[in-house]
Amino acid sequence: MSARPAGDFKTTYAADMALLDTRFYRVGFVLLLLALVAAPALLGRYLFFLNTIGIFAIGAVGMSLLTGFAGQISLGHAAFMAIGAYGSWYVTSHFGWPFVAALPLAGAVAFGLGAVVGLPSLRIKGLYLAIATMAFQFITEYVIIHTAGGMGGNVVPPIKLGTLQIRTEAQFYYLLLPIWIVSGVFAANLVRGRIGLALMAVRDRDYAAQVLGVDLLYYKLLAFALGASYAGIAGSLFAHYNKVIGAEHFNIGLSIDFIAMIVLGGLSSIWGPHLGAALVILLNQGLRLVTPYIVEVLPVLARAATPLREIVFGALLIILLIWEPGGLAMLFRKLKRTLDLWPFPH
Amino acid sequence: MSLQFAVEGVAIGLAVGSIYALIALGFALLYKATKILNLAHGELVLFGGYLAIAITRALHLPPAGAFVVAIALTLAAAAALGFVIERAIMRPLLGQSVLSVIIVTLAFGYIVRGVMVGLWGGDTRQFPPVVPTGVVRLGDLVIPEVGIWSALVALVLLAAFTLFFRYSLWGIAMRAAANEQMTASTLGVSLTRVFAYAWAFAAMAASVGGILIGLWLGVNFALAQVGLKALAAAILGGLDSIPGAILGGFIIGVLETVVGGYIDAHVAVFGVSLQGFKEITPFVVILLVLLIKPYGLFGTEHVERL
Repeated sequence: MSARPAGDFKTTYAADMALLDTRFYRVGFVLLLLALVAAPALLGRYLFFLNTIGIFAIGAVGMSLLTGFAGQISLGHAAFMAIGAYGSWYVTSHFGWPFVAALPLAGAVAFGLGAVVGLPSLRIKGLYLAIATMAFQFITEYVIIHTAGGMGGNVVPPIKLGTLQIRTEAQFYYLLLPIWIVSGVFAANLVRGRIGLALMAVRDRDYAAQVLGVDLLYYKLLAFALGASYAGIAGSLFAHYNKVIGAEHFNIGLSIDFIAMIVLGGLSSIWGPHLGAALVILLNQGLRLVTPYIVEVLPVLARAATPLREIVFGALLIILLIWEPGGLAMLFRKLKRTLDLWPFPH
Repeated sequence: MSLQFAVEGVAIGLAVGSIYALIALGFALLYKATKILNLAHGELVLFGGYLAIAITRALHLPPAGAFVVAIALTLAAAAALGFVIERAIMRPLLGQSVLSVIIVTLAFGYIVRGVMVGLWGGDTRQFPPVVPTGVVRLGDLVIPEVGIWSALVALVLLAAFTLFFRYSLWGIAMRAAANEQMTASTLGVSLTRVFAYAWAFAAMAASVGGILIGLWLGVNFALAQVGLKALAAAILGGLDSIPGAILGGFIIGVLETVVGGYIDAHVAVFGVSLQGFKEITPFVVILLVLLIKPYGLFGTEHVERL
């Protein structure tokens, strides 16, 4: 697994299975948690970054289970997010359900639908499967536009927890953070156990896995259902965070962005989807924040501001992937290795 | 469904389909030689359309002459762009995982789009009236002339590439590289050069599609979606089959116009009319076809051995 300090041996199975296996990771994780808890005080008005990252990171974790670990390429991830968002919108605005009931419902509905959409994966593979899921994406968009009222126009009621109404970014953040952490840890736990090993066997060679006793039907559908339910939960959170949802929030572009997130973060890594979501959103939104200042300094670029953002975004993605095709997770691993061995090269 | 509606629908569908076919041909070509799915293909199509329009407008020549020069320059530029993509972006990623490479093509698409919006703005742009934009009448049938042109171009390119892949040394090298990169490389096929040519051809095919779209509808950034539909056409035909891609394009064009148009106008479910069903008809059909033939209509069936 990871590089270990000399003399640090694993002497029990429990130690071998531990998620945070060295002191570096244990201390690092505690520090990360502290930083996340303290974030609203530190970030101030930039907290929306973290909220957006959290929501999409949850969706990306699902994508990573499905594509990174189970090897099923899906171009329909945004559709599951849409289903979670619209399901959540429907029950809260029409039936007056509380958010705490709508959130699991969104996950459950997406879970069931994911299993159905996953059915073709038994026959269709690779890029062909990607197009089949893209068909699902377009069909979902169509259904939403023609039933829920289309573009931009569905107002989601604010979240109420008992008597407390979630209004500010910070309040939403403290609601999101536990969900984010739990879903991340849940996926990490899943991946190291029987289910995760079975998914990876399916990814590496599905028929070989079947010969060894992995039930393909069960595990492929489970991968789709789990991935979809993460997306559904992310969709529900997004609906209540953004307060207005429309078909344009969940288009094919977002499905592709999810793939970009897990590739940039690192496929088959439990940290990958979080890092990737953070990178994509920081770049995207960050460039949006920065461009006005650049235009102020160089007024020549005023007309080119929007296209410039796209160009820079594209160029950064290309540079990162050429530099390290394994994504950010691999980059961190290499950095840590270099630091461990420093000043020696090997 | 009156006969008139059906016949006219098929004719228009074939004309629309020929453009999908041309774009799908680029996908199939590139995939056949490099096993890369190019998500920037829609942008390359727009690149061809925009560039040809810009050159035609910039030249002070008689319109027809300017148009011919513009086509030649655009194709040359597309080929150059293909070489640049291969050298600068794809070569460092040789042998990396499929998904990483796909995302890199997507990122490249962002760059191309950004540059084009920066240069030419977001409005729909059209060719000055250089070529006959009239319609052809066959009895009661009315077909835009451009549709006939693009169908002809698609068929000519189909013939050219089929011959190229079957008989020319480069074509055979490309097929060998697609079949098994390592073995082909051992036998003296220069993979980098094969990939460079594949990218150049794909970019040129995309540009031709873009020029034809420009002649017909004018180019606009909403048309990048055409790339996705053409991708669906390529998948329908089988991703590594060039005749399949062309046929897939025509099938999708016809389905969209005839079946989609009919359902749009006449079919209602639970009293709700299915407006706009046209847009997703191709995808529903593809889903059904893939369930029966998982590698598309003519794709190489992958026999798995353990």
